Amino acid sequence: MSPELVIALLAAAVQAGTPILFATLGEIISEKAGVLNLGVEGVMALSAFAAFITCHLTGSAWLGLLAGGMAGTLLCGLHSLVCQVFLGNQVVSGLALTLFGVGLATFLGTPYVGQSTEGFAKIALPLLSDLPVLGPIFFRHDVLVYLCYASPVAVWFLLNRTSLGLGLRAAGEMPAAAAAAGLKPQRLRAFGVMAGGFLCGLGGAYLSLAHTHLWTTGLSGGRGWVAVALVIFAFWRPGRAVIGAFLFGSVMAFQLRLQATGTNVPSSLLLMLPYALTVIVLVFSAARARRSGAPAALGVNIEPED
Amino acid sequence: MNLVIRKREKSLGWGVLVVYLVALALALFVCALLLTLSGKSGMGGLAILFRAAFGQGYSLLDSLVKAIPIFLCALGVALSFRMQVWNIGAEGQFALGAVGATWAALTFSGLPGFALMPLMFLCAMACGGAWGLLPAALRLRLGVSEIISSLMLNYIGILLLEYLVFGFWKDPASFGFPMTAEFSSGGQIARIAPGVLGKLHWGLLACPIAGVAYSVFLSRTRLGFELAACGEGERVARYAQLPYAFLVFLVMGLGGALAGLAGSIEISATVGRLQPTVMVGYGYTAIVVAWLARLRPWGIAFTAYLLAAFRVGAEVMQLEMQVPAAIGPIMEGLILLCVLAGQFFLTYSVSLGRAPKPEAACPGGNGAEEARP
Amino acid sequence: MNGHEGSERLTSATPRTDIGVADVLPMVRLCGVSKRFVQVLANDRISLSFMPGRIKALLGENGAGKSTLMAMLAGRFKPDAGHMEVAGQPVDFASPREAIAAGIGMVYQHFMLVENMTVAENVLLGQEGGIMLNPTAMRRRVAELAERFGLGIDARARVGDLSMGERQRVEILKLLHRESKILIFDEPTAVLTPVEAESLFAALRAMSAQGKSIVFISHKLEEVLSVADEIAILRRGRIEGEFLASEVESPAELARRMVGRDVVLEIEREAVAPGRLVLDVKHLSGGGLDDVSFDLRRGEILAIVGVAGNGQQQLVEVVCGLEKPRGGQVDILGQDWVNFFQSRAWKGALAWIPEDRAGLATCRGLNLTDNLLLTTRQGFAHGQWLERSRASETAQGLVREHNVQPGNIEAQAWQLSGGNLQKFVLARELYREPRLVVAEQPTQGLDVAATEAVWRRLLEVRKTAGLLLVTGDLAEALQLADRVAVMFRGRIMNQFPVSDAAQVERIGSLMAGLKD
Repeated sequence: MSPELVIALLAAAVQAGTPILFATLGEIISEKAGVLNLGVEGVMALSAFAAFITCHLTGSAWLGLLAGGMAGTLLCGLHSLVCQVFLGNQVVSGLALTLFGVGLATFLGTPYVGQSTEGFAKIALPLLSDLPVLGPIFFRHDVLVYLCYASPVAVWFLLNRTSLGLGLRAAGEMPAAAAAAGLKPQRLRAFGVMAGGFLCGLGGAYLSLAHTHLWTTGLSGGRGWVAVALVIFAFWRPGRAVIGAFLFGSVMAFQLRLQATGTNVPSSLLLMLPYALTVIVLVFSAARARRSGAPAALGVNIEPED
Repeated sequence: MNLVIRKREKSLGWGVLVVYLVALALALFVCALLLTLSGKSGMGGLAILFRAAFGQGYSLLDSLVKAIPIFLCALGVALSFRMQVWNIGAEGQFALGAVGATWAALTFSGLPGFALMPLMFLCAMACGGAWGLLPAALRLRLGVSEIISSLMLNYIGILLLEYLVFGFWKDPASFGFPMTAEFSSGGQIARIAPGVLGKLHWGLLACPIAGVAYSVFLSRTRLGFELAACGEGERVARYAQLPYAFLVFLVMGLGGALAGLAGSIEISATVGRLQPTVMVGYGYTAIVVAWLARLRPWGIAFTAYLLAAFRVGAEVMQLEMQVPAAIGPIMEGLILLCVLAGQFFLTYSVSLGRAPKPEAACPGGNGAEEARP
Repeated sequence: MNGHEGSERLTSATPRTDIGVADVLPMVRLCGVSKRFVQVLANDRISLSFMPGRIKALLGENGAGKSTLMAMLAGRFKPDAGHMEVAGQPVDFASPREAIAAGIGMVYQHFMLVENMTVAENVLLGQEGGIMLNPTAMRRRVAELAERFGLGIDARARVGDLSMGERQRVEILKLLHRESKILIFDEPTAVLTPVEAESLFAALRAMSAQGKSIVFISHKLEEVLSVADEIAILRRGRIEGEFLASEVESPAELARRMVGRDVVLEIEREAVAPGRLVLDVKHLSGGGLDDVSFDLRRGEILAIVGVAGNGQQQLVEVVCGLEKPRGGQVDILGQDWVNFFQSRAWKGALAWIPEDRAGLATCRGLNLTDNLLLTTRQGFAHGQWLERSRASETAQGLVREHNVQPGNIEAQAWQLSGGNLQKFVLARELYREPRLVVAEQPTQGLDVAATEAVWRRLLEVRKTAGLLLVTGDLAEALQLADRVAVMFRGRIMNQFPVSDAAQVERIGSLMAGLKD
């Protein structure tokens, strides 16, 4: 492969990794607060549509982005309602959320299939984009990719350097201790789920506004599930999530490139790559993840006392 | 006034039914609302749904046919949910079952039906079971969450099916359509009474057999009891010397085999060949069914029929009202969410408590009034 | 609100007025506070005053209403009737946060600490004082606080790595940081060595000398007498008496007041002649154990005493077949470990009564028949088939014989009280006619009556089996055991017969790891 091709491939990897990173970070916040959200796939699908339709109707990509984030927040609010208020099983609620979210996006989006939208244009950052190698890989993208660069730091800061983050982690580790300290673990959890939903929503919005610039069904394509798996790979740390997201971005970019160049490898096998990689990644990180990082009360609802 | 939440001492009895009906009504109401918002008739949609479930003979039979694979997959899913093992890979196991059965049907196409059919079922169950054992092994040996691995295996299983249908097994006479050659007559499940009972086929027989086996296994056998006890957690299993790892393998293997069986019945009876369009998400519907039925065999039978009917209803809506087919999963997701929320009222009772009134003076004791100088 | 009128009263319903210092305003006052749950009146018109600079002990059995009272003080429940005052002002806490703000601080029996966080983060949780966190400043604040009150602790340490005594200090630091004026301790010595308990008492006295009001909740009589200034007795949700510690003549008198009748604090035990060897442990090491050796014969009770977390759990797991012995030799009923656990006989072999009776010995969501089957299923199976009806009859028989309430075998395990659940577990395990019984903290959290019943059963067991009793309760060990082995950091410090008075005297220091 020529150097140009490698650079182009890596630049594509950055783009493919961006929505996954947003979603992974969102799920990290949610799980740190103790709530397992298996609805990421549905959240990404619905917010991709919300972003698309808003941008399509108003012409504003920024409004579209906001709509995507809000759709994610609302859908995760539903998860939070079922799990925090009605103490529903988090696994099952998350699956229901995926069914509902993907279904709703397809349902509402059917009349718009194939229609395109302006979305975000690419902006080459001054100076930085002229750097050799690094410039074309990292600094000639749309603004959401740049936003994505900042997000792991922001999430890390939220979790580790703010009192809200401390409370959030306490709610995920031991809700009773948080309650005894005068905090409201249910509310902290609800906040964690919904803030995480906002980030997942940004990931979904990226898909329609910056990745494809058009609406098709099945836009999320399993990325939500990859994000759920990456949280385990990342040991619940935003920094490691970056590595995981761009690993997957690379594989997806590679697979697309291979398909485009028309190899004789059947496309079904190429399409398997990210899913198989997800399992492999879990195989190599699961054992350690159980010992390091998993919030102690993850997936356990806070029961009312009487 | 504030809400007082307490754990119920007694089961709600008939109240359970009320809770479920309210949850179902709420979910359907939201669906009707969605239809209305998208410019269709909400009431018309609901009418179609009910016609599919309880109305005309034709759609009734159609619902029953669709209920067969859903019921079988749901039994398998329920088995693993019983011990808190979250097998959500029924869809992939279904696909692998179809692949296994197809291999048998294409390889031994000359065999008569009484030999070929059992062989197809056996291959289907072996393939589906193996697809289920994989996440079980990953979980027990390496601690990989079975939720994600079984889900990823869904995607991989479906893609594998497509790979085979687009490649090796593609029928040269299919004019480029992705499908295998039609199975020989020995490899096709016959309809019970084509004139009277429409598409209803002998595969239906698998349901009562599997259902009775499921309930006998759980209520009458030692292994079934051990499975229920394992649902309380791995620590209890270790205390009571329950064969936890073996049971995880067992439920995942059996669940996969049931889903695989469903896959083989589906392709053999409804299309008579393998094609990607057989993957319509029965494996996911099965999860909804298993949970709604609270893992009980009769409940699974009824819920499988109901959700199959809703699928038929959604198809009719698509034809008659041009409603996107996605109304199906939306309905399933909503029903599941509403029932999950409703199940709260089965475990807890909610009542309005009275707020305490602070009293002005302190009765008895060494009052502060006396103590003040 | 009646139903308890028949119970004898030892003191008048009106608390005495000469308790406390009359010219000082009480820190916190409860005025006729009541709280009712579905069936029980947990607190019945309770009036109490907590004075600054005084240590008040709240003495009561489990189920007497202590935890409900605490929960109301902590703002977790609201009283149904009556009210509370802080510094003379009526208060009505809507949340724990308001109780904290009013200066009420709690140290719960099960520590409310996040193990995955540092000491500093735990102390400052909910009290960060700002949106942003500065870890260095947090550490410094907590370190200064610890130093000011002489509670030595590393603010950077992860709580999960600390000993129980250190964790308790973190809890106390939390309260001191909030400048709580009244500190309430729920069974604080349950997890401490005698030495750690002594230093806790010293800390309590020091804090009370600084004007804090200390509430000490316990059912250990000696402890209460040694540390408290005032004692209030809670029985069946009511205050049954309130007096100065100096007025109490003996622990027995206190016990009578607490239970409402004369209690057998001592149980008569006849010696049983030791029979054949049932358990032989030689040089067991690894997995937190260090050269553990002891043996046990039929008719004998060997008590393993020590503070929780000194290897008792690891020892039990090896003896009960959960963990393989890494080094050394374990023989059970004359067979070596591997052979014994391969045969897995359900009857006439080993029975284990674990500490966690609600989460380990029974399944919360299963009924009593199924819970019986949990360890006896081999006895009700023909090949793969299970005889449920016979199991139900047996369960019904055991429930009646052992007076397990409610007597309904359809009841699920979570609906039983701790005492009844323990009676059921004992009944089930003894139904297996074991020849070796391992019992962990068999009476923890039980009231006196249930304790007595359990003790009697355990003494009966000696006729057919040897009993390995793992307990943190010295009194229990000395009551029941023939021999005592003291464990510290995975080692057996010493073992001796309970008749050896000189050694028994030294158990406290042995538990703390002091050889001489």
